[in-house]
Amino acid sequence: MSHDPAISPASDVLLEVENLSKNFGGVAAVDDVTLQLRAGVISTLVGPNGAGKTTLFNLITGHLPADSGDVRWKGQSIKGMKPWQIARRGICRTFQDLRLFSHMTVADNVLCVMEDSFLPWQPGGFSAARERRERVQQILEETHLADKAKVRAVDLSYAERKFLSLARIMATDGEIWLLDEPASGLDPRSFSLFLNLLKSNVKKGITVCIIEHNLDIVFSLSDRVAFLDRGKLLAEDDPETVLKDPHLVSIYFGERN
Amino acid sequence: MTAYLLTVFVFICVNGVLAVTLNFILGYAGIFSLAHAVFFGIGAYVAANMALYVTTDLFVSSLAAVAVCMVFSVLLALPALRVRGEYFVAASLGLQIIAVTIFSEWHWATGGLGGLVGIPSPTIFGFKISGPLPMAILGLSCLVLVTGIIAILVRTSLGRNLMAIRDSESAALAFGKRIAAIKVLSVAISAGLAAIAGSLYAYYVRFVNVESFMLDTSILLMAMVIIGGTGSMIGPILGAFMITSLPALLSYVPNLPAQHIGSIQQIIYGLAMMLLMVFQPSGLIAFFKKREKSDVA
Amino acid sequence: MLLLQLTLNGVQTGMLYALIAAGFSLIFGMTKIFHAAHGATFVIASYAFYHLYELSGLHWTIATIGAGVAAVIFGAGLYLLLYRPIQRSEASFFTVFIAAFGAVVVVQNVVSIIYGRGFVVAQTTLSSASEILPGLYLSPLVWISVLVAVLFFAAISLFLNKTNMGISIRALADNPELVRTFGMNPNRLSLYVFIIGSILAVPAGIITTISVGVSPAVGHHVVMISLAATIVGGIGSLTGAAIAGVILGVAENVALYWVGSQWTEAVTFAILLLFIILRPSGIFGRAITN
Repeated sequence: MSHDPAISPASDVLLEVENLSKNFGGVAAVDDVTLQLRAGVISTLVGPNGAGKTTLFNLITGHLPADSGDVRWKGQSIKGMKPWQIARRGICRTFQDLRLFSHMTVADNVLCVMEDSFLPWQPGGFSAARERRERVQQILEETHLADKAKVRAVDLSYAERKFLSLARIMATDGEIWLLDEPASGLDPRSFSLFLNLLKSNVKKGITVCIIEHNLDIVFSLSDRVAFLDRGKLLAEDDPETVLKDPHLVSIYFGERN
Repeated sequence: MTAYLLTVFVFICVNGVLAVTLNFILGYAGIFSLAHAVFFGIGAYVAANMALYVTTDLFVSSLAAVAVCMVFSVLLALPALRVRGEYFVAASLGLQIIAVTIFSEWHWATGGLGGLVGIPSPTIFGFKISGPLPMAILGLSCLVLVTGIIAILVRTSLGRNLMAIRDSESAALAFGKRIAAIKVLSVAISAGLAAIAGSLYAYYVRFVNVESFMLDTSILLMAMVIIGGTGSMIGPILGAFMITSLPALLSYVPNLPAQHIGSIQQIIYGLAMMLLMVFQPSGLIAFFKKREKSDVA
Repeated sequence: MLLLQLTLNGVQTGMLYALIAAGFSLIFGMTKIFHAAHGATFVIASYAFYHLYELSGLHWTIATIGAGVAAVIFGAGLYLLLYRPIQRSEASFFTVFIAAFGAVVVVQNVVSIIYGRGFVVAQTTLSSASEILPGLYLSPLVWISVLVAVLFFAAISLFLNKTNMGISIRALADNPELVRTFGMNPNRLSLYVFIIGSILAVPAGIITTISVGVSPAVGHHVVMISLAATIVGGIGSLTGAAIAGVILGVAENVALYWVGSQWTEAVTFAILLLFIILRPSGIFGRAITN
């Protein structure tokens, strides 16, 4: 059950984009989008395919340079920063095509994320290393991957790969998670496991913004929904308001006039 | 006869060290360098100069070679690693060509085209090491040492970071990895350890000149890594073994005209590269691994 | 005057480099295959001409056709027997690169076993230079190189822009699947690209054989020039590769005014390195996106 932002006091704005735009050869992939993500609020980004949702994520995380507009994290502009700098500020993401470290084991995939230094050794010595390994074990148990710890990512089943993608981001200590269709294509049993896992992480206070088509996630998890179409932000409100709007519904299901 | 075999053995060790260090960046990081022979050369020239003018102590001269190589590789890697993989190949090619010209012209440091001659035997704590057998033992120790260091590094966070970059650079970035720093560090380690091969080579052959450090050598080293297989420590050593012993093996084949042995060797490994890429891109080592799997099953 | 002479020499070299680079750039740009064996095509065309003209004494037209046939068989054969099977299974850039390099090594060594490692030249009157100004020597080859290069470029441009097949080939670079929906076979088109690209290596090979001569080791050098010109000119741009080829050829020769001949190769690659570091998209290339 999601908490009602109308009752709790408005929390601080963690991440905001302002008049953000990106063109590809004359086509506006993201068109003058202004959006605010507040601490502790779960938002979903919905819209038809090609609406610019993933592009918006790429602009925020620095994987794509914006043409105009600004991106701010806790008040400071992060526009133009490199992706690794943005990630280290606490903004973490997953990818629609997962981009797992395919030839590494499941355990190494999760462990790798926790190793910040580029040197062969990490600060904290052996005790910190042991803590990291224990945390890996814990995360693998939560994501139902404990028995696959030594399996290479490329050898996993589809559902296991989706869970590994989530495990990786769980291993970061990011303050905000940008999840790109994390549950798409999951069978019903895996999906309900996945949803529970998301909910328990959300309870820990992580701010999440999810790109999703699945309305279960939208309704049962989100506090806010943002509707994107052809690069433009058409609506940003609570789930009921956005998804009961007949105009938006018709766009979403493709019955455009 | 034994002396000849021991010589081949030393060369296998030299090439083994070079192949293992090249595999570190090629197989684990996905950095495709055609300039590995340059670091082999720098290591050899520094060790040679140390032996001729400063000290024949093995550790000191090797350390000097390693240090110079690391510094130099960092200076090169910093600009070069900003570019995408395919461009890095071209950049490394450019570096290899330019380096050969510098090696040939910089008389003061490299002896120019004539090279450096009369390099004395190495010493450890004052004891001279000379003769094929002691040098062979030295060679084996170098190979074991370098392979051991790389094997350990691969299991550290650096190894994981390298493989993460190789598997998905964009995901690695999204998790805060400082790709440039990691790549530069791995190139520095690869180049520094390759210098050990240079030092060993200079002390064994007692003569260094630019012909050993040209593009042909870089391609040969790449062939060793690819043919042996990039996914493990043993692969490159296997590749080094097979390619280095090829001329020796060929000399036993009857009716082969001696002046063509070099060409025939190259044709064999050229064909091997072509055939392997079509049928078994993971290299020869994959044939051994397959058999192991079926044994267990 | 020396500078002018070097520039003229550079123009001749540059025209040939432009042709070679255009062949490589066409193949790489359209099929995305890094045809490192283009240097081997050059070697085969050159030695085929040398064998037919110089050793067998045949007329130059027959020798030229023979060189063309040899080049096409090699280029197309490599595509069908090496690159396509690799693409079916793994298609990593580096797998193709290694295989192509293997091919170059094999060709160079087979040629050196048959013909020796030294330079061979096909003797013609065309290579004799006449002194048109005091200190300035010009051989007909300079004009011939320019003419041949211009003719081939005009032909290629016409083909790529005006003919149906040419337009389909250009579409191949951007969107192979789109090509399929128009009823063309991308694999068939790629084969044609390899054929045309290989033909482009032939005039350069022949002219080099009758002027300075060729040796088996030339293959490596040709690959490097092709690569350098393609990058400097911009990946995806045929014109860029050609112009870059001319620039590199002129630079290589003009550099002799200031440095010894042992430095000219370094000059070429210093230019390449500068472009890679400062402007990787080259002169005309599309912007590099990560």
